[in-house]
Amino acid sequence: MASRVLVRCVRSLARPSARLCAGNVTLRAAAAPLPLTQRSFSLLSCNQRTRQTEQTRVPGSLVQVCRQYGDLPPLTLEMIQDRVMYVLKLYDKINPEKLQVASHFMKDLGLDSLDQVEIIMAMEDEFGFEIPDAEAEKLMTPEEIVQYIADKKDVYE
Amino acid sequence: MASSSRTQVISLYRMLLRESKKFPSYNYRTYALRRVKDGFRENRNVDNPKMLDHLLNQARESLAVMKRQVSVGQMYSTQKIIVEEK
Repeated sequence: MASRVLVRCVRSLARPSARLCAGNVTLRAAAAPLPLTQRSFSLLSCNQRTRQTEQTRVPGSLVQVCRQYGDLPPLTLEMIQDRVMYVLKLYDKINPEKLQVASHFMKDLGLDSLDQVEIIMAMEDEFGFEIPDAEAEKLMTPEEIVQYIADKKDVYE
Repeated sequence: MASSSRTQVISLYRMLLRESKKFPSYNYRTYALRRVKDGFRENRNVDNPKMLDHLLNQARESLAVMKRQVSVGQMYSTQKIIVEEK
């Protein structure tokens, strides 16, 4: 969140200075030796997951915006399991101390079918794909969810 | 609860939750999510088939209303409010 705000501040700062430089030649010439126009903003990382880096340079009148897109790190079974368990721990009806990889949502954790639907939807949000109804109702333990996601994302050991 | 109506209820629940998440406006979105969850939980022990039918129809109507309102909301979306910034 702090980095978002920072990015916004930098953007709003960069824009007027660029316009100023482009519009007035004499001003630009006067301002050129100052280190102020050579200001470079580097590596403002946003969200951890999207890993965008954006570099805005203002050298004189030329404004270059350079964007670099990063790839996500490859999924592994452990990583999927960590994320699944993390989502489950954040779910308010699950006691994090009772939660095991093999615990059954209804038998061990005392959830009902509506809770199970909510959990599956939380997983859809976390991993960014839809799980169809027929398969969603079979997923009853964190283990099964991990296995299902690994199958869908082509992750094998 | 018969198994057919059980799957119906579950799939309606999923559809309603999905639709609620699509509201562009934060206030409508959080209200819809809360209302759907509470509404289903409130009537989780209903056994009477007439009552069940009535509730299912009500849920379908709400789903239609929500679909309409989501598309209306998307036509007139506004700036995100400050609590939505992550």
